[in-house]
Amino acid sequence: MLDSLPYELPELVTRAPLDIHRSVVLPEWVDWNGHMNVAFYVSAFDQAAGAFMRNMGLGRPYVDGKLGMTFVLETHVTYDREMRGGAPMRFVTQLLARDAKRVHLYHDMYHAELGYLAATNESIVMNIDYATRRSAPWPVPVAERLEVLWQAHRHLLRPAKAGRVMGLAKR
Amino acid sequence: MKSPPYPIVDLDLGTPLDIHRATVLPEWIDWNGHMNVGFYVVAFDKATDTLCAQLGCSWEYTREKIGMTFVLEAHVTYDREVKEGDPLRITTQILDHDAKRLHFIHAMYHATEDYLAATNELMLMNIDYATRRSAPWPDFALERLHRLAAAHKALPMPPQAGRLIGIKRKS
Repeated sequence: MLDSLPYELPELVTRAPLDIHRSVVLPEWVDWNGHMNVAFYVSAFDQAAGAFMRNMGLGRPYVDGKLGMTFVLETHVTYDREMRGGAPMRFVTQLLARDAKRVHLYHDMYHAELGYLAATNESIVMNIDYATRRSAPWPVPVAERLEVLWQAHRHLLRPAKAGRVMGLAKR
Repeated sequence: MKSPPYPIVDLDLGTPLDIHRATVLPEWIDWNGHMNVGFYVVAFDKATDTLCAQLGCSWEYTREKIGMTFVLEAHVTYDREVKEGDPLRITTQILDHDAKRLHFIHAMYHATEDYLAATNELMLMNIDYATRRSAPWPDFALERLHRLAAAHKALPMPPQAGRLIGIKRKS
């Protein structure tokens, strides 16, 4: 386990849920149906997870310094409404659970101007040791920040779309 | 609609469907040196196109302004890394269907080393081109869907299907 990180950590944002990530649907994300393709919702959510990780202290310097990486183990997306090219996106992120190596994150994606819910995403992200490419506990300063975030997020209501199992409901 | 105004590929009743092949493109690699989470879904979405081609509901279906297929929900498990240039083999199993929807799961394997790289469970809905709203599968698609589902019925449920995301607590 890393006891410290050799770069300056950003100021910790403890607002819960976390509402800092904004993005725009790129033209190359649009498919033959004329809307953002399913895969690029996952890319957009991955960038929102990246914003959460940067807040924890795990931004690009973590990888560039060959200290560690974060890998997504699993992800679940609900596609609630279409997004066209150029649409502005706003993300709201909630920490649902955490342990020594992993976080369980939940994001809502909204159309930033029209306000509607476009999609939701639930994912498990794991800390990885750079050299062994295997799971490893969070670096100590990251674990400390994660604990502060957990105390801020733990009392939030569980989102209705979290914990879904896919299936055709029989009518 | 009894038959579409374009030819449909021969129906493949192999179980599971095992016809989709791909290669990990250089632009699918991220700063962690492996295929990025979003591009697994790009690769899986192309396998979904292969499945839709079996039903006669792929690109020509949209080009002829008959309909589209929209993904309602997706669940991905990232089981092992794949690198630039790796050959991929994607198999597809039908899990369930109704008049408008299709529930299925893809498994992505490294085509030469044969390990499981990822799975993708999906809920797909048929969409009317003009109204952009859900609509029953056209007759030609439903007839093929019944035959595929009947062939796949004997397959065991994959362990990755029907998963709930969470961090399991060790007691």
